[in-house]
Amino acid sequence: MPPEAPALDAILSEARAAIQHAATAQQLTEVRAGFLGRRGTLAAKLRNIGQLPPETRGAAGQAANEAKETIERLVEKRRRELEQAKLRHNLEERRMDVTLPGAAAARGHLHPVSRIEAEMCAFFNGLGYSVEDGPEVESDWNNFGALNFPDDHPARDLQDTFFVEGGERVLRTHTSPVQIRAMTRLEPPFRFIVPGRVYRHDHDPTHYPMFHQLEGFCVGADVSFGDLKGTLYAFARHLFGQQAKLRFRAHYFPFTEPSAEMDVRRGSGAWLEWGGCGMIHPTVLRNCEIDPSLWQGFAFGMALDRAAMIRFGIPNIQLLFEGDQRVLEQF
Amino acid sequence: MRVPLGWLASFIALPASQDELEAKLTSAGLEIQQVIQTGPDISALQVGRVLHCERHPNADRLFLCRVDLGGDEPLEIVCGASNVAAGQFVAVATHGALLPGGLRIKRSKIRGVVSNGMICSERELGLGDEHDGILVLDGAPTPGAKLSQVLNVMETVFDIEITPNRGDLVSMHGIAREVRALFGGALRLPECQPEETEREATSAMAVSIQAPQDCHRYLGRVLCGVQVAPSPDWLQRRLEAAGLRSINNAVDATNLVMLEFGQPLHAFDLDKLRSPLCVRRAEPGETLRTLDGEARALEPEDLLIADAAGPQALAGVMGGAASEVSDNSVNLLLESAHFAPACVRRSARRLGLSSDASYRFERGVDPDGQARALDRAARLITELAGGEVLRGHIASEGAPAKTPPLEIPLDAARLRRLLGVELSEQEIIRLLACVEVQARSAPAESGTRILCQPPRYRSDLLDFEDLAEEVARIYGYDAIPATLPSATPAGVSRPQRHATRDAVKASLVASGLIEVMTAPWISERELDDLRLPADDPARRSLKLQNPVHSGRPLLRTQLVSALLRVAEQNLNRQVEQVRLFECGRVFHACAAEPDALPEEPLQAVALLAGAGSPGLWRENHAPLFFRIKGIAERLLEELGQPLPFRAGSAPPFLHPAASGVFELGGQSAIAVGELHPECLAAFALDTPVALAVIGLDRLDAVRQPQQTYQVVSRHPSVQRDLALLFDRELPAAELLAAIRQQAGAILASVEVFDRYEGLGVPEGRVSLAFRLLFQHTERTLTDAEVTKALQRILQFLSKNFDAEQRLAGESAASQGGGG
Repeated sequence: MPPEAPALDAILSEARAAIQHAATAQQLTEVRAGFLGRRGTLAAKLRNIGQLPPETRGAAGQAANEAKETIERLVEKRRRELEQAKLRHNLEERRMDVTLPGAAAARGHLHPVSRIEAEMCAFFNGLGYSVEDGPEVESDWNNFGALNFPDDHPARDLQDTFFVEGGERVLRTHTSPVQIRAMTRLEPPFRFIVPGRVYRHDHDPTHYPMFHQLEGFCVGADVSFGDLKGTLYAFARHLFGQQAKLRFRAHYFPFTEPSAEMDVRRGSGAWLEWGGCGMIHPTVLRNCEIDPSLWQGFAFGMALDRAAMIRFGIPNIQLLFEGDQRVLEQF
Repeated sequence: MRVPLGWLASFIALPASQDELEAKLTSAGLEIQQVIQTGPDISALQVGRVLHCERHPNADRLFLCRVDLGGDEPLEIVCGASNVAAGQFVAVATHGALLPGGLRIKRSKIRGVVSNGMICSERELGLGDEHDGILVLDGAPTPGAKLSQVLNVMETVFDIEITPNRGDLVSMHGIAREVRALFGGALRLPECQPEETEREATSAMAVSIQAPQDCHRYLGRVLCGVQVAPSPDWLQRRLEAAGLRSINNAVDATNLVMLEFGQPLHAFDLDKLRSPLCVRRAEPGETLRTLDGEARALEPEDLLIADAAGPQALAGVMGGAASEVSDNSVNLLLESAHFAPACVRRSARRLGLSSDASYRFERGVDPDGQARALDRAARLITELAGGEVLRGHIASEGAPAKTPPLEIPLDAARLRRLLGVELSEQEIIRLLACVEVQARSAPAESGTRILCQPPRYRSDLLDFEDLAEEVARIYGYDAIPATLPSATPAGVSRPQRHATRDAVKASLVASGLIEVMTAPWISERELDDLRLPADDPARRSLKLQNPVHSGRPLLRTQLVSALLRVAEQNLNRQVEQVRLFECGRVFHACAAEPDALPEEPLQAVALLAGAGSPGLWRENHAPLFFRIKGIAERLLEELGQPLPFRAGSAPPFLHPAASGVFELGGQSAIAVGELHPECLAAFALDTPVALAVIGLDRLDAVRQPQQTYQVVSRHPSVQRDLALLFDRELPAAELLAAIRQQAGAILASVEVFDRYEGLGVPEGRVSLAFRLLFQHTERTLTDAEVTKALQRILQFLSKNFDAEQRLAGESAASQGGGG
């Protein structure tokens, strides 16, 4: 029908302009509804087709459908354009100075000695060592007597002791009194470690009157000096790396025999004194009601502070205990 | 102990390599702490022989010498000393050589003649003040040899740490024995026997021991007609190399012998003594002026050498000033005794008087070594100071000294099991022989035993383990193979409080705090500064007898004061935001039994101080109090059990209006608050400080190590905000509790998201905004249900808390997928 054709063309060109003019997705939706919606222009045309003579109805219907498809295509094209534009805009608008620092919450820090202690405990837990604990103010007997320190013997000078007023009480000079407490309670075989704080009257760049030890004890029917060496080798490699070397030197402790001091060396560095060790003295076993003819075992001890200083390259032990936030924030 | 190697070498041949000597001694337990070079460095100088000597052609007072230095051609050297002559052996510094004083010798032209070096005087060699003439060497040393090989003035000294069990090592003789054990060789001991007169020593002096348990043997020798004078150079140098000061020839001789054999000796001026001598305990009220000039009040535990007039020496510790050997002394009494170690140690410790003698007696001297050392010293003194030695010893014996057992059985199988190394019986016997332990096999019921007899000077060898250590030591610890214990026990345990402590530390670190460790010394004043009342547990302090700082003699009873000190130091160092915590034990004397071991509760204290500058991205602008409270709340949440909070009733060092406690069983588990203004002033803090004081032992009970899953709703939640006006004194906690109670089970959470007073809010009122989240675990809530709950809350709040609605926001959020 000749009069109908221009009408569709007009609608199409009107739609084309309106679609192109739509600046947002919302506007585009409105434009589409204006033409294709139930009350839209094209819908009105389609409704009219039913009233056309049957012979023209087919062609008119087809033309209207084509027009509808064209509009849909144009809308879709425009929608993509708008999305692209929006994305481009977004990418552009969010441009920022990404070199500014990140905004993290303040970071907390465990003390280097706590870190080393946790690491050491984890290692020995893995080897089957339990953790034992005891008081820091100790009886003279637990700190010295039971550990085979004779009265009036220069061995007592090895550890400059803090004495507490009233009663035979000292600040423990080593964690070994816990050995007495635990071994008296436990039935062999057993193995345990004792991390803890100890006190000696000593003050210079490598000594502080308070420091931390970790001692370990392993008692069984045939636990030998060789086992002691093997255990400490494994530990040193764990703590200081596979290249770590150990050296054992004969030494004297009242509570072990044979006794040794151990030195550790990382790579080609100097030997650093690291701790003491030995086979538990039979008198100590007897003092804990363990029969030394049936049971034997080893003991070792080292300063955690020293390990922390070696590990982190801290030159002066005082830095660990002054509480300077600028120091402790580094670890 | 300082061991000059040249001196040691006179007792035993040393290995060629000093490094090897050092390594083996160290490994055997004689740790070389330091290697010291003593004496002038004459290593660049040579021995020369003056072949020809004539007047310098252009100078009257100079000589031109041709000196043989072992080379092809003699050197021409100009010398100004009047005593130079042909045929002399002299010390020569050639071109380029460095003199001990730091002068480098250069070839130079002296009055037209080239001089190729210098012939040295004593002063130029650093050996003395003699500079008028050149030093002429004794004997006929080889020209060209190193001067240091001819003049024994340079010495390498090992400073060796001797462990307290090894009294036998505190001498050249002892170290030489150890060198022999490690390297083999034969000992060379100095000549000891002196020439004696006809006259008996006993005619001049008598001695008796009245305390036989404290003095095992007392020997003396009498020397007459000696001339006390300064010691010759070699003796002075030797003592100085060993770290002793030279006094005079007589005293130096006794000290030298002490260093040689480890037996302390004492020389008395015989003419100041009145026979007989007596070795006895002090009587109450007796005093003695010791060699150092101090008047010592003696006690009955002190052992004395007394004569008829009274105390003359503190046995084994120090002699008395009255009978001291002086330059005028002519007749001497030499003492060589064996005192009980514990007895010497008690006196030395009580008087704070440690001497070379007491050091050796405390560690135990050779029970058989008195006569030899005494003879050696008598001989040496007559060599140095003339005089004569009266015949024989004056002597008295006490109870026998403690010596090792005659026979210690050693089970070879047990030794192998202890050390973890396969050693044959022969090998064990051979190793023991190195340290002079006589060992032999003897058949036993099971296997064989080795019967061992230690030498009498090794009072530390008493049982199987002692011998095992000797075997291991000589075998070498490094040679023992490293193994691991065979069986592993099932399961490991740790104290509950460690687990709680670690959880608390982890939570505080996660809250951004930094752990510190402080020394546990505090003062009474700090407790006052914390405003603690007399009956506070933190007042039950323990005092040290020998504190590090006399101003802080108490063991800490709380962690707060130390942390405040640390905070103040950090603020002084311009740290802007101090955020610290410490976790450790405090010490409270037992109320019932003050002398028993104290209680050691575990405490943690967290501290925030200083506002910090407004950083670019700083987020947390909440007041200090709420930040510390938030840290405590998070901690409790992480431990698995929130505790009720109560305002006030906090410790006296907290601000009464800005503090409160989280309670457990009616007691404070965590106290939080800002620091009391008086405490701020007392600790010199000029910025607000907030604290959380955490009783770790109480939290042990709270901790829920097992956490169980709580159902998460799959249905959408509805969020409603309420903004209401209340009386400003009304605690928000009460309102939150009321809201929770009125809302019932469908309220998933409620929080205060704003608090406002000021413009638009009437005087005395405050606007609080709550955000409520409603959610049902099994179905989607209807709008009506939520609105009904909200209305119930509003009604309740306005009725009971005089709430007025200010604004009401509304938003619905749909969360979760399934629906």
